[in-house]
Amino acid sequence: MNNQNLIPPTTPQIPPPIPPVMASSGPRSLGDDPSERLAIPNVIVTIEAILRQPRRVMFQLRQPGAGRLIAGMLFVSVVCSLIYGVVAGTFSGGAQLWAVPVKIAVGLMISALICLPSLYIFTCLGGSQARLVEVSGLLAGLLMLMTILLIGFAPVAWIFSQSTESLAWMGTLHLIFWFIATCFGLRFLETGFSHSNARSSAGFRVWVVIFMLVALQMTTALRPILGTSKTFLPTEKKFFIAHWGDCLKGRDEASKSESR
Amino acid sequence: MGALDELSPREISVLLSGEPEKIVAWTGQWSARRFALHVVVIIVGAGFYGAAMGWWRDPQQALYTALKFPLIILLTTTANALLNAMLAPLLGLNIPFRQSFSAILMSFVIAAAILGAFSPLLAFLIWNAPPMSSATPSESTYNFIKLTQVAVIAFAGVTGNVRLFQLLSRLAGRRVVACRVLFAWLAGNLFLGSQLSWILRPFIGSPSLPVEFFRATALHGNFYENVFHSLLQFFQQFD
Amino acid sequence: MPAIEHNPAPRVRDRQPVRLGSLGVFLRARPELLREWMLCRQLNLVMFCAVTIMIGAGVYGVVMGSWRGPWQALYTGIKLPLAILLTTLGNGLLNGMLAPLLGINLTFRQSLAAVLMSFAIASVVLGALSPVVWFVVWNTPPLTAAMQLSSPEYGVMQLSLAGFIALAGVVGNAHLLPLLSEWARSTATARKVLFAWLAGNLFLGSQICWVLRPFIWDPSRPVEFIGREYFHGSFFETVFEAARRLIFQ
Repeated sequence: MNNQNLIPPTTPQIPPPIPPVMASSGPRSLGDDPSERLAIPNVIVTIEAILRQPRRVMFQLRQPGAGRLIAGMLFVSVVCSLIYGVVAGTFSGGAQLWAVPVKIAVGLMISALICLPSLYIFTCLGGSQARLVEVSGLLAGLLMLMTILLIGFAPVAWIFSQSTESLAWMGTLHLIFWFIATCFGLRFLETGFSHSNARSSAGFRVWVVIFMLVALQMTTALRPILGTSKTFLPTEKKFFIAHWGDCLKGRDEASKSESR
Repeated sequence: MGALDELSPREISVLLSGEPEKIVAWTGQWSARRFALHVVVIIVGAGFYGAAMGWWRDPQQALYTALKFPLIILLTTTANALLNAMLAPLLGLNIPFRQSFSAILMSFVIAAAILGAFSPLLAFLIWNAPPMSSATPSESTYNFIKLTQVAVIAFAGVTGNVRLFQLLSRLAGRRVVACRVLFAWLAGNLFLGSQLSWILRPFIGSPSLPVEFFRATALHGNFYENVFHSLLQFFQQFD
Repeated sequence: MPAIEHNPAPRVRDRQPVRLGSLGVFLRARPELLREWMLCRQLNLVMFCAVTIMIGAGVYGVVMGSWRGPWQALYTGIKLPLAILLTTLGNGLLNGMLAPLLGINLTFRQSLAAVLMSFAIASVVLGALSPVVWFVVWNTPPLTAAMQLSSPEYGVMQLSLAGFIALAGVVGNAHLLPLLSEWARSTATARKVLFAWLAGNLFLGSQICWVLRPFIWDPSRPVEFIGREYFHGSFFETVFEAARRLIFQ
């Protein structure tokens, strides 16, 4: 007779150990991967890291001494926007070769500065635990990623600059490049905030719209970026939609007078 | 395998057949000799095809097109190299600059090899066609030759990109990532390549225009403006 | 009448809540923490909110009025927070009565603190958006003889300013609702109370803004803090007359 079924166990069975939480069960925390904990010593490594290891940049922005990293990212943003400005300035040549780089670099920094307070507030309201330094760092990362992508587009922009005289076309092309670059930059920013325990991203999405509008308006406030002008800055104030409308109207009138 | 064994014309057949392990290894290891071989294949293959293209107009046009066709390929690859290298990791394929550059160059090598292989066929077709002149009403012949060239170039391009997609799938481990990266690279290369082709026109030539390396209006206007205006004029005729 | 919950046991008050030390702590606070502050640190909370309203809405008001001139900037910088605080105080008694009647057992002080909190959050948003608004105002063509109320540039600026105020208001109220739900343990009850408070605040606030106008510009008057004729008529009378003229024209 088999007594195993009759005799109840006197000691409870020890349950199997609970397996560790796998990566697929949720997002990994920043710093889980040892490669993310490596410090970023210089701007070259920063550029490579933001393209290939963005989590490393996000992790380092939370560490003491993140100010140096932020300064490096801003420096790269300024340099890259100056270079792209030179390429954009080759369309008109002359004084635009120095005026456009200055305008693009300064305009970008001012746009970011204008939008930084609202970014911090909206992310706080969304429940994010990111401090002001980290928020500033993520914004600097957005600027850096945006501007290095613009450098990637620079050869294409230059080729088109040399082979067309159409202001509207070149303006549209630069806007398309800027839009694509900004999308990647905003994706970096959003990913950064997703690791800061934010409960809601509604405020961030509103901020994205504000940032895009401010940047677009800045191009009009600092015009001309393409084309020439007697003064460095415009004497007349305009909103960007009115300015674009005037440019297209002027183009249509010019083509009508040519066809007569 | 020794260094000399690695570098041989057989390498081109390996590229064409798409042997994944070897190609992945080649993209991962930079070799100046391999790079030189690839550039030579592009120059020779696309050059011969360009010569066949331009020969219908004039032997001088053949020479010009033989120079311009490889130039477009090399300029497009080089000008977009930085952008393509940045887009790859941003879209999920974490490869360094050299590897992305090698991958794209290899796809163009495959396309150029196919074009070079078809160049005798194109030359034969043109040899059988009436010569291009304003007097000869050769519209159907012109259209047929044009369409044949488009078909050959399309076939070469598609084959090159299929092999590139297979390579990217291997590197990324996921077809979705490979698709994204290929699409982004294609969009950038097509965008720039169209404009470079516009600047460097003509390739076949026109009987009513002289044989020139560049047209006088090469740097006036661009490909997309031209397409836009053509569309506007097309739709305006219905108003 | 819906059942009224009593305040929680003193056990909540034994544990000291997180200190209201900074703006970040305030903005990130979850409804449970806000409730604890309302119970344990009411005076701190009210003072913090009042100061935040004065600074946040004040800066926004300065930027609003700066298009007209420096004096208008100063006046609007005073009037905007004043409108908020007067609305809160003016409706304090009413809001304090409506809350328990509709099912949330808040005292007068607690309801005042809750409304102040939502206005404080709105004011913080306004303050944070002030640089953006400054940029909009800076880009608007300056006041000239040709500028009219119907000018599109003025319209864009006006719409932007109003849009940001609406956004801030939505954010403030969106943060008030979870707090009321936490207190009432019922989202439906919280919605009722919020709607009632909103209706009352909007009603009184519209008239206070009418009395305190202009905030941006009055083309028929020089810059002044408040004119005598602003005490004649009301916001709703004017809206009613305008609607009547439009419909029966």
